[in-house]
Amino acid sequence: MSVEGTIGPVPRGGTWAAVRHAVCGSRAARVCAGVIALFVAAALYGEAVYCWHRWRDQTPSYQRVHLDERYLPPSVLRRSRPTAESNTGTDQRPMGVRRLLYRPLGTDNLGRDVLQRLIQGARIAFLVGIITATIAIPIGTALGCLAGYFGGRVDDGIMWLNSTIAAIPGLLLVLAVAMVVGKGLTGVYLGIGLTTWVGLCRIVRAEVLKQREQGYVLAAKVLGYGSFRILFRHILPNVAHLALVTFSLRFPAAIGTEVFLSFLGIGAQGEPSWGVMLSNARLRLWQGAWWELTAVTLAIVLVVLAFNLLGDRLRDALDPRVS
Amino acid sequence: MRYVLRRLMQSVPTVFGVLLVTFVLFHVVSGSPAVLVLGQNAAPLSLEEFDEQKGFNKPLLAGRWVRTRAFADADFHKRVDSLDEIEGVEHVRSGAGAGWLKIRQGGVLPVPLAFPLRSHTAYRWEMAGRLAEGGEAVWITRFAGGREKTNTLAAASSRGRIRVDVPACDAAITEARLVVLRGEMDLRHLRLRRAVPRWWDSQLVFYFRQLARLDLGVSAATNQPVARMLAEGLGPSLALTVPIFLVGLAAAVSLALLCAYTHGGWPDRLILGVAVTLMSVNYLVWIVVGQFVFAYKLGWFPVWGFESWRHLALPVLIGVISGLGADTRFYRAIMLEEIGRDYVRTAKAKGVKPFGMLFRHVLRNAMIPISTHVAMTIPFLYTGSLLLESFFGIPGLGGVGINAINSADVDVVRGVVLVGSVLYILAGIISDVVYMWLDPRVRLR
Repeated sequence: MSVEGTIGPVPRGGTWAAVRHAVCGSRAARVCAGVIALFVAAALYGEAVYCWHRWRDQTPSYQRVHLDERYLPPSVLRRSRPTAESNTGTDQRPMGVRRLLYRPLGTDNLGRDVLQRLIQGARIAFLVGIITATIAIPIGTALGCLAGYFGGRVDDGIMWLNSTIAAIPGLLLVLAVAMVVGKGLTGVYLGIGLTTWVGLCRIVRAEVLKQREQGYVLAAKVLGYGSFRILFRHILPNVAHLALVTFSLRFPAAIGTEVFLSFLGIGAQGEPSWGVMLSNARLRLWQGAWWELTAVTLAIVLVVLAFNLLGDRLRDALDPRVS
Repeated sequence: MRYVLRRLMQSVPTVFGVLLVTFVLFHVVSGSPAVLVLGQNAAPLSLEEFDEQKGFNKPLLAGRWVRTRAFADADFHKRVDSLDEIEGVEHVRSGAGAGWLKIRQGGVLPVPLAFPLRSHTAYRWEMAGRLAEGGEAVWITRFAGGREKTNTLAAASSRGRIRVDVPACDAAITEARLVVLRGEMDLRHLRLRRAVPRWWDSQLVFYFRQLARLDLGVSAATNQPVARMLAEGLGPSLALTVPIFLVGLAAAVSLALLCAYTHGGWPDRLILGVAVTLMSVNYLVWIVVGQFVFAYKLGWFPVWGFESWRHLALPVLIGVISGLGADTRFYRAIMLEEIGRDYVRTAKAKGVKPFGMLFRHVLRNAMIPISTHVAMTIPFLYTGSLLLESFFGIPGLGGVGINAINSADVDVVRGVVLVGSVLYILAGIISDVVYMWLDPRVRLR
């Protein structure tokens, strides 16, 4: 989004002030931040549930099959229908008791709670976003810094690697890496992480090229500091905001790719990722169970939209040239 | 023209890099493609034949000796159950999980081969172990036809490596055994290596020579040449992606123009909001919901197949909508940038009508960045419809690619990746040339 007529005062006081201004500066941004916070909370809760069940070494509650509760539509208040089969857990209630928010988003074809699975999906989505970023951002930043600062042969080599990876259509490369590494989330992490650093590398390189000519670098050189000290102690803090912007814009893309891969059956195995839920819900749609698909769609749209809008604002605040 | 040639020359390292990446991906990292395709429980002979056909049994970069699937490397650190029954052979444990095989005097260690080794090829057995002082052991190789050859084991070197070379012979080797005639022998591991006639004849060379013949390999699933599969898939793919591309371009540019025309007004903000929302809806959702609602519930379009234009209408519509958000936003930003320039202000001051200004001045100048962007999207015509095709049953490249990935068809995936990359590199050159052609001020060197 272009920035014409920025509303409010221009933030002063460095990167974090600009970030704070971008996140809290307008109502829309605050809503986006709130949505993201909500999803983060859901993902943390999902992680806790996941760890709890793994520690107890039992089938997680979101995987437990209740054949008598198949295809429950979403509802706020419902009469529970516990039977002998579903009474295995703590659920020792008599027939027909009204329960608030019992399976609020309905159940799927095996009677599994859609809301719980959705929360697990959020956990996996955030896991993918964070892990791919922790792979891609250090690689991209480090290579970009080295290429920009040293130039010459180093630059040629790194840019050759960069243009090579960039020349392979992204999704195909991710698919190929995921196929080679094997089905599962590891393949997804590696596939996305090892292919998406190229954009950041280019941006960082361009910025370092500019920073290299600045006075403070010359001053550091005059003081006799070594190249790596100048690069990583002095220049890096001045280009670090690019990593933040890239992270906020890559995050939704990584989530989308994970959904895609899991949908194809290459990503998450045996865990309710959003992609797995989507491919499951697609088949149930034909039987009239619309709620699972709707819930997953809304979740994806909300989180991606929030990240997109916030990422745009961050980019406008920190670096209008990045596209 | 000279510029184009130079750009082509410059892209050679990139193409080479792409080849290397695919090589590393499919030859170095991937483990055994034969196991990937044929499964864990495939017979060793069929694995060996697969490797032979695809060149996977050559050394990776260069080398004289390679493994063979006839005898998997045996490591006697751990106890091997099948050897317990044999007289004179026992497993000696030393510490946790470590140990070796001890063969007593008169003991015979049979070495079964999964299939007869080929004739006219030299083989080498590599052992790590020790023959007791004054001991004597022989390696007996049995050939097809019952002939046998006996090698006396040379005294072990200081590192305990013992080699038995079996020179090329006109009969196939069917069996081998180790006989200890005197003393005792310790054995830590046993490996079989096949001699390669030419040391430089590696997988990398095989791969490059195959590509130099424009041979992309043979699909393991359908047994068709990959090049032909890709060529056959190209037509249906283009029938789908070209309309998506054209309609999408027209729609996005006109929406962006409308945005620029009413900049700041409600249509602009509405379109922008819708565009951002459209961007955030996952591609998959469009397909699933579109297919369900329009094809199944409402019955406006056929659900599946590739027969007439009606079958294509819905996928095209979905493709356009899913790409519309991002494109509109991008083109709008370009146009707004143009509108902010001095020549637009001059035109306004001269009294040019806003509408004429938009078309004659802004659009024409915005065409330059737009067209370079368009040229860069050409490769996505090739890969962009992976899902649309497999969902709507269109026999295009996307469907081919998805099927290949699902069935781990290495050659097809590699072919799709390679062709996509080459297209991308070409598109980069085209985009630069178009840029130069449209904007005479730009002189590319």
